[in-house]
Amino acid sequence: MEIYLPIAEMSVHWLIVLGMGGGIGFLSGLFGVGGGFLLTPLLIFYGVPPEVAVATTSSHITASSMSGAIAQWRKRAVDLKMGGVMAAGGLVGTVAGVWLFTVMRRNGQMDLLVSASYVILLGTIGGLMLNESLAALRARRDGAPPARRAPHLWMHGLPFKMRFRESRLYISVIPPVLIGFAVGVLSAIMGVGGGFVIVPAMIYLLRMPTNVVMGTSLFQIIIVTAAVTVLQATTNFSVDVVLALFLIVGGVVGAQFGVRIGARLRGEQLRLLLALLVLAVGLRLLFGLVLRPDDPFSVTTVMP
Amino acid sequence: MRRGALLAAALALAAGPAAATEDLVSGLSQDTVQITSNYTGTDIVVFGAIEHPEDVGRRDVVVVVRGPDADMTVREKQWVAGIWINRDQAKLIGMPSYYFIASTRPVGDIAPSDTLQRYSIGLANIAPERIFSHHDPAPFRAALLSHKQQAGVYGETQTGVEFLSPTLFRAAIPVPATVPRGQYNVEVYLFRDGTVISAQSTPFFIDQTGLERRLYNFAHESPLSYGVSTVLMAILLGWLSSLVFRRND
Repeated sequence: MEIYLPIAEMSVHWLIVLGMGGGIGFLSGLFGVGGGFLLTPLLIFYGVPPEVAVATTSSHITASSMSGAIAQWRKRAVDLKMGGVMAAGGLVGTVAGVWLFTVMRRNGQMDLLVSASYVILLGTIGGLMLNESLAALRARRDGAPPARRAPHLWMHGLPFKMRFRESRLYISVIPPVLIGFAVGVLSAIMGVGGGFVIVPAMIYLLRMPTNVVMGTSLFQIIIVTAAVTVLQATTNFSVDVVLALFLIVGGVVGAQFGVRIGARLRGEQLRLLLALLVLAVGLRLLFGLVLRPDDPFSVTTVMP
Repeated sequence: MRRGALLAAALALAAGPAAATEDLVSGLSQDTVQITSNYTGTDIVVFGAIEHPEDVGRRDVVVVVRGPDADMTVREKQWVAGIWINRDQAKLIGMPSYYFIASTRPVGDIAPSDTLQRYSIGLANIAPERIFSHHDPAPFRAALLSHKQQAGVYGETQTGVEFLSPTLFRAAIPVPATVPRGQYNVEVYLFRDGTVISAQSTPFFIDQTGLERRLYNFAHESPLSYGVSTVLMAILLGWLSSLVFRRND
């Protein structure tokens, strides 16, 4: 049965949309990531207008993060204070990101903004992950312990220190606010939660204990993606609630299967697979930017 | 509006006093199309008859359907510093969002080009009210036509008007799912030896209906509540899923 998406103004088959949500949910459960960075490009390849894809994916991430955050909350693995500080920076970031998004949309450069951000971010993250997971696999084979990174001591000199009890940290609020801000901008432009940026930043920059990292990042992602959804709905009218509903229902079910399969695979192998997936999506978008387009013209229609 | 005035003049001409002059009557199979959740496109049938046909000349019927006006921006990607980005653009104000033409034979054979141009008959004769561009707008216009044809909202069938008898004709107008909402006008022209001798204009309406319509209105009229509701739906579904799939650990 075809369903009509009232904001995207297109007909889609409900099974395809449900399947997309389910597939991305499966991957996000498998790898423990939000999956926004895969869902947004997938929707765009399918023909959903980029602004609708970005804005609607935000609400999808709110739902999947909610599901994950509750599980972490039950294990008392959420640092609400740290999450709140990062979300404060994140909210400012989303306002800046949505503003940038609106300006670029008006100038016809929105596709470029979305594609270029994805290529840069996915290329960087994918490359780092590939490098690290290969090193970890090699280390395991050689029997050597995985390399530990040196602590970043420079940030201990910054002012506005605050105590984060659950994270067992006494640090300046400036680094978490800045990280939150950067992720907020990415979230608004790319329709991602930004877990793949926050989690490494929490571990390697803030040096938070790994047991609270997942829950805290999910908590802050809920707040930021909820803000992005509301801001996109009020400034660009680009949130499609029907599309969101099908993606979410597919996503939460798919995630459960992903989690179960993921529990049977080894961490290094999973990270290697995820790195390859991230690089593949990044390359696909890079080709879109550098290869001569079949049709250099594009048309935007506005009903006055 | 030049075209509208001409059409009115043609209509006045057709509604002249002499009862015996050749005239045109036409109608539509439906005057509204409701776009519902499972709408995948439909056809509207235009049918009509020539009244009091005189026994001279060759007759042709042309059916032109125009959707509500829209502003269209055509952008051209150019190769800059290794990547393809949108550079040059042309903005066409007042283009029909939908245009479909059906005729008894290729319109170029029916009437001279200045007549076709005057009535905006044929894809080549669609003219925007204004064009803003720093460049020659012709390639942008051509790209627009081919894009709209691919999207199924501009169309031309040179044999789409079918005569069922010497005076009775019909034509099918495709209404794909991608058409915008609003008022559409169906103009039927009767040509005799290359001259318009009668014309008739009938509107029909395309509307979203039911839930889709209400959601669209909700999103545009109270975007804040709409955004907040979407977030609440997401949070509720996320919370429900964690209840349903609660694992025993």
